[in-house]
Amino acid sequence: MEFLLENILNLVGFLVGLAIGIMSLIGFRNTGSPTLFRLTIAFFSISIGFFVIWTGYMLEDFLIKSGNIERWIQTLGIIIQTVGYFFIAFSHSIKSFFPKSRYFRSIGIFPLFLVSSVQIEHIFRSVSFILLAYGAIETTLSYFENKNKGAISVAVGLALLAFGEFLGWYSFVFPESILYSVSLVIKIVGLIALFVPVSKIPLTKIKFDDDFE
Amino acid sequence: MVEYRTHMKIIGDILSTTRDDLQDEEGATVTYLIRKANISHSRISRILKTLVSQGLLEQVDTQGSNKYRISQSGREFLQAYYTFTTFADNFGLTI
Repeated sequence: MEFLLENILNLVGFLVGLAIGIMSLIGFRNTGSPTLFRLTIAFFSISIGFFVIWTGYMLEDFLIKSGNIERWIQTLGIIIQTVGYFFIAFSHSIKSFFPKSRYFRSIGIFPLFLVSSVQIEHIFRSVSFILLAYGAIETTLSYFENKNKGAISVAVGLALLAFGEFLGWYSFVFPESILYSVSLVIKIVGLIALFVPVSKIPLTKIKFDDDFE
Repeated sequence: MVEYRTHMKIIGDILSTTRDDLQDEEGATVTYLIRKANISHSRISRILKTLVSQGLLEQVDTQGSNKYRISQSGREFLQAYYTFTTFADNFGLTI
């Protein structure tokens, strides 16, 4: 298997995203909270994004065998993940992120038609980095307010994902170096840190909706 | 500093008052809930109406005044509310 680290990362990302997404969905269906609805969209998007890339690597490993993953699959997966990171950041009231002027809104999407798919991938990676860094900072600030230890683990997880995203982007400068592998390992650790506090939530005591069981 | 409470948190406060902090076995009066949940009369009236219609609170008519007590569904909702408050807290969010 040529892409072992990539496969591990994307499989872990898919499973962690799916587990947290299901947990959020159960929470939304039991409480009707809009925050939990946004988290459901966020983590299902992240999960689907990792799954798309994982499928791409598996197809490459076992069917295509060209030595590199199809670029458009990687780009599609990253775009879907970015949507998920956006909803995490949006849950922290990221309202100021949108350009207010109608002029900026109209030209905001225009550059996407002028760049290649590789550049689109880089754009979405950098957007992911910003959203993850924002989420990590907001979660850290919330820890200082309510001293919830789980928030620290989530903040570290988001920060590691952001750092991994940054190193992954930076590794294009040094393509043959160890940077890319390090970035994958950091992202795997980040996903595990994200899952740790969620795994401690005692779901067994809750009586779920009848049609959910 | 004034703490902002979401609609969900206000509902949680009302339900926990009717579960843990009742005046008597018949339930809590609107005045008592207003004081405990720290909310205006017009707003709590709307919320109580919704909670009763959803089956989370039971309305008891005693001596010409309405009293409210938590139902079994309300207890289950409150349990889910506490669990998912912890869940959202981990993400630095409020449900």
